Amino acid sequence: MYGELGNKLVQHAKRTQSLAHLPPYQAEMVRAVTREVRDLEKDRASTLESLAGSFDPSTDPATACALLVNHLCQRRNKRCMLAYHRVRSDKLEEMCWSGIDVLERQQQAGKAGESAGSLGAEVGNMSSLSPEEEEYVRQYSDLLAAYKGQWTDIDLTGSLEPPRDLFIDVRVLKDAGEIQTEYGAITLTKNSQFYVRQGDVERLIAQGYLQKLS
Amino acid sequence: MDIDDILAEALHVSAPQETLDLQELTRAWVAERVAPELLPYPDALMERVLTRIRRQIETVEEQTGNMDPKTNFKLIVIQTELERFKFLVRSFLRARVAKIDKYPLHVQQNSAEYLSPSESQYLTAHQNLLASHYQSSFLSQFPNSLQKLDDTQGGISMIDAPDPDTAVFCRALRDVGEINVVGTDRAFEMKRGDVRVVRWSAIREKVLAGDIELV
Repeated sequence: MYGELGNKLVQHAKRTQSLAHLPPYQAEMVRAVTREVRDLEKDRASTLESLAGSFDPSTDPATACALLVNHLCQRRNKRCMLAYHRVRSDKLEEMCWSGIDVLERQQQAGKAGESAGSLGAEVGNMSSLSPEEEEYVRQYSDLLAAYKGQWTDIDLTGSLEPPRDLFIDVRVLKDAGEIQTEYGAITLTKNSQFYVRQGDVERLIAQGYLQKLS
Repeated sequence: MDIDDILAEALHVSAPQETLDLQELTRAWVAERVAPELLPYPDALMERVLTRIRRQIETVEEQTGNMDPKTNFKLIVIQTELERFKFLVRSFLRARVAKIDKYPLHVQQNSAEYLSPSESQYLTAHQNLLASHYQSSFLSQFPNSLQKLDDTQGGISMIDAPDPDTAVFCRALRDVGEINVVGTDRAFEMKRGDVRVVRWSAIREKVLAGDIELV
């Protein structure tokens, strides 16, 4: 039926909104919807051609209705496609803002899948992003970096929690090596605890190396 | 002009520029987070605040070597203030970016003059990126008549716009007189200090003029 696939895409998008990660790109479905739109367009063209320019909707309501339904289906499919892609690109942008390296994570997931064995090999090679999306992420990160670069003092991607204290207690979850602070260098070894300036370790908290203790 | 206004003016004169700027920045930040649409970018204010932040950072850098407990304490106070200022600016800018990303075409067409130069750069670049992303993902294979992204025909506009009838909390900074809520036969008076919940569309002009603040 017309529009059924579009509906499925939108359902996918809706589900994506509440997921933490990005599910695989539905390339097959996107292609099918595109095909549907093009078939509809062909139908429309041939109907119009058979009428040869002289068409009065009031004398032939059936054809008029067919054309209308055809057109509305095309538009609806377009809306569904846009919605699906928009939800995904929003998600990707969100990841860019929160400092997650989407592409790197994809590669890691791919490698993990490959090493899982011959069965996983095929799945592992498949990225959950489409090539277009990967390109988009790359360009958006560049754009974001450029925009951020104009506010070097502020660090736009920093925490949006209002700062309470200058210094905080943190626990080291993973070895993070040595960091430089104005009070000298600190070596962050796993399971140790420090009282440090929040601004110095914000990045590391976001990346999951440190945990803030309240 | 009554006694309240005179008092308010006298108070204003006595407060130093720094305090006023902080107040103004906080107000702009709250307003930006509450208002449904993008508000004008406070050029001069941001310029002043950013210069001051930069200067404070320099001060901190200069004095970090100093181990004198007194300066050390002063440094901590400065840094705390600095962090808080940075947070305000960051949150303010992020609130704006969020709105720009949510209603890109609407902003481009209706409130382009409210953007700062770097924001408008970001908006244009982002729109181009999105457009080419859609184009290469599927749109290029659609019939020509369906390739537009800002189509307003066919009953549904493709341009998302903020809802001007969102309810907002606001406080009158001075007597603003009668306010008519558009679309209803409601009208009420607002005096200095009054707090109300109103549709954004009814008080928009007054907020932009600075007579009412959002809370």
